[in-house]
Formats: sequence, structure tokens, C-alpha cells
Amino acid sequence: MTHHRAARSPARRSGATLLLLLAGAAELPAQVGRIPPGFTPIFNGKDLSGWHVSRTTHHGTTPSFTVEDGAIVMRQRPYGQGGLLLTDKKYRNFDLYLEAKPDWGTNGGIFFRSTEGGSAYQIELEGGGTGGSGSLIGEMLRISKEVKPANIGKVWKPDEWNSMRLRVVGDVPHVALWVNGVRMWDVTEERNDLIADATDGMIALQLHWGATYTPVPDAFDMSESWKPGAAHRYRNIAIKELR
Amino acid sequence: MRVLRGILLAHALSAAGATAATAAGAQEPARTNRIGMEFVLIRPGSMVVGRFQPACPTPAPVGSRRDAVDAVDVRARWTPEDYRRCEEMVKRDALPGFTVHIRRPYYIGKYEVTQAQWRRVMGTNPSVFQGSKVDGDADRHPVDNVTWEDAQAFLRKLNRMDRTARYRLPTEFEWEYAARAGAERDLTWAQIREQAQLALVDKGTTQPVGGKQPNAWGLYDTLGNVWEWVQDYYNEKLFADPTPPRTGTEHVLRGGSFLSDVKNTTYFTHGAGPGSGFDVGFRVVREVREGGESRRGSRAASAPP
Repeated sequence: MTHHRAARSPARRSGATLLLLLAGAAELPAQVGRIPPGFTPIFNGKDLSGWHVSRTTHHGTTPSFTVEDGAIVMRQRPYGQGGLLLTDKKYRNFDLYLEAKPDWGTNGGIFFRSTEGGSAYQIELEGGGTGGSGSLIGEMLRISKEVKPANIGKVWKPDEWNSMRLRVVGDVPHVALWVNGVRMWDVTEERNDLIADATDGMIALQLHWGATYTPVPDAFDMSESWKPGAAHRYRNIAIKELR
Repeated sequence: MRVLRGILLAHALSAAGATAATAAGAQEPARTNRIGMEFVLIRPGSMVVGRFQPACPTPAPVGSRRDAVDAVDVRARWTPEDYRRCEEMVKRDALPGFTVHIRRPYYIGKYEVTQAQWRRVMGTNPSVFQGSKVDGDADRHPVDNVTWEDAQAFLRKLNRMDRTARYRLPTEFEWEYAARAGAERDLTWAQIREQAQLALVDKGTTQPVGGKQPNAWGLYDTLGNVWEWVQDYYNEKLFADPTPPRTGTEHVLRGGSFLSDVKNTTYFTHGAGPGSGFDVGFRVVREVREGGESRRGSRAASAPP
């Protein structure tokens, strides 16, 4: 698709046209399966070096996070207990690229500027790209502006790898999301929503809990959040840190 | 035997040699030390630790929330095979738990260690939530942003300042026993919300200690406010083993914090460091000794209660 667009580009290189081209480039469908130029991998495709499991998130502390065929595979362990896989490093301003394949009947997401315990901005991700997938929400964090994508259903490919690009800049963050190369939204929060006015945090992959340790009569029924044996998969995770 | 050995190990730090009942009988139910830390006497008993028995959902009734959610796409809906698999997984993963006997009485902090108490002992205040970061006076907020080693440094200094007693972190089982206060099952979410500062997600902070309902034995904030360090190393499992590991890389955190969800702000959650820093503190055990404030290591003859 990139070649097609380049072939149509006019020979005339006025500043305005160049700007249009640069702006338009981000709208082009990305080539899924390859990390774009300029991004540095933060997952090596072999093991979870550079990542660790949260021991204080409510989703669970003993998840099954493995690497299979170059992808991080996340499953509940034991039944009903999810978890959170955090980068060891904290990031402030960045462009993040990754590819995701969530099984049907699941709920997880991508956290950024996360604490160890999982208070963070979150891009929601549900199986099949359904439900709130692609929404910007807060996880254990009240954020000033939530956003829902208008058109994710048109670009998400269920049961296939989907590319996501997330750009985060500023202490009062300006956040933008692309799915399969198509811009979903672009928003600037009204304040720095983070606890204790933190300005950076970890990137994390979330696997939602589905059941309490023992039945609690007035607990939420979260069983729809994770089908037995289902997985979320991520690969080609790479970052471009920005000033 | 494994359980018994665990408890003996758990109490290896105890200097008191008196039998439980005798020592407890001779002690005040509450006391305050010279820097103003209040303690509540915890009497011996037993509890079942580490029970894990999650429930599978039943097929969603037509028109229920779950039915509506599942209706988004038929592929997200649980099939009869999913319900069957769930029952299998629950059977595979369930844990009956094990009985822990608390054989000696001990005093435990009625509150988490406050910033004022930390400053009195250490002369500093490492907390994130002080000054302009909190509403009002931070003195009665729990100290936060302390590592397990920081807590040990505090205890060493406290033990030098007050030689009439011996202070230490609770073992994980001592913490859980005091937090549960006799409860066999988990609290309901409504009860947890009455007792715990939790889910303060809108630019939230730690809160002054004692602001919520106490548990049945008069302890405040065992759930919520700040995670609390205990003495034990972390075993990297869902719950504690009967015997804590002898080595490890992290120590256990209990109780959840102002930033935890109600789901894990329970006295069953077995978390571990490092935590998020600004939501980590601790409470202190003051050992019970026969004869009250008698010299350290004294050993009294046991007598029937």
C-alpha cells in the first residue's frame, strides 16, 4: 500500500504538499509483521527479558506469561486470576508499535505511564476488537477525557494480527492511536491524571481477572472477561522514545 | 508437621518463652509505647490459610448483563464446552488451604506506622504523600515509600530507643491472623469498603490512619491505605506455603492500598514487593513477654491459665 501511495505522489514538492504527504503517511495501513523503521524492539521474541510480573495488581499475581513463536502469550493462572506484564523501564514521551491478537471472549489492554501496581492510562483490548477495544480509559485511575474509537470494527481483523501504534507526548498527555495504520483518535487530556503527578511510568500488558479467590456474594460477575483457556498474544513490540 | 514447623519458624524471632495462655493472661489488651505507637493484644488461635475455590459462572440468564455482553458477538459467548472446561480448571486449581496455629500472643500496631512516628524514630520522612501532596497535616498519614530494608532500619532504631520491648515486622501469618480477626471467610465487598481506604483513583493519596471502620479486633487500615511489609520472603505463588522460603528476592506485601481495587483489598491477597513505592508502608509487632516489661529473654515457668 505504501508503494501505491508513493507512485501517485505528485512530482511537485511544494512545502504544503510535502506536509500533506508526511501527515498522510501515518494514515497508511502499516505492514503487519514488521517493526517500522526508527523503532527499537523492547521484546526480543525469545524470552521476557526487560519485563516483569506485577505482584500488586488486583488482576492476579501468578499469571501464565510465556513466549511462543516469537509472541508473548498471556493466559489466566489459576482459573480466574489474570495479571500484568510490565516493562522494567519507565517511559515518558514515546511512539509505541506492537501487534496484537486477542482470542474471542477476553478483556485486557495496553497500559502506559503505569505504576507497579497497575494504575495507568489504558488502551482497552477485547477479543475480536469488540466492545471497548481501542478506547482510552483509566485503570485504577480517573482520567479527564476518555475516548472511544468510531471505526475500529471496520479495520480490526479478528483472529489475525493487528498493528497498533500509540503516541504519547506531554505531562498533560496528548495521545493518539492508530490501528492497522488507521488513526482512531487523537486527544489531549485536561490535566496530568497520574497519581502523585508522576510524569512517566511503565508500559504494560494486562490480562483481566475473571473470578475472586472464593465466591463473594456482592462481587462483580467478571466471568465474561476471559473464556477458559483463552489467550492474548503480542509481538513486534517496539518503541521510539520522544523528547 | 510441616505446618507446625512453619509456625515454629515463624516465631523464631520471639524472645519470649512463656506459654501463650499465661503470657496473654498477664498482658494488657492494649498499650502505647513511648513514641505514641498504640498496640492491640492478639491472642493465640488458629485459622485456615490459602483456600482457593473460585466459582465458575452459570450460563447467563436471557436478558442479564452477561447475556447482553455476550450478545455482542456469538464468538465471545461461552459455549457448553467452555462451561465444562471451566469446571475442569476450577477442580484442577482449587486449594483446600491448611491450618495455621498461632501459639503465642503478640501485640500488633493498631494503626500503620505514621509519618510522625517515623520522623520521631528516624529523624527523616521518605513519604511521597506529605506537604503539598496531601490535604492537611501529613503527620497521621502512614509513612509511605519505604522498602523492606527501610522498615528494618526503623525497627533497629526503635529497638534501641525503647529497650523495654522487642519490635519487629509481623510474620505473614501473624499479619493475616490479626487482619482477619476471627473471620473464616472473606468479607463482602460492602464490608471491605467500610474498612478500607481503596480505589482512590482521582488524584488520590494515602489517608490519615484510622479513618475507616476497624476490624473485629480493633485494628484499622489492615486493608487499604498502604500495602504492609511482613517479615517473610515471597514464594512467587498465589498464597503462602505452610513454611515461608528461607531466601528470595522480594518480601511479601499484604492488605492492598488506597490505589488497589476491592478485588485484591482482602486479607487473603498475597502480594510482594516492590509495589508502587508511594503506596507501601508497614505496621509493627511488639512481642509479648512474660512479666510485662521484664528483661529481654526472660523465661517464665508455664502455668495453666
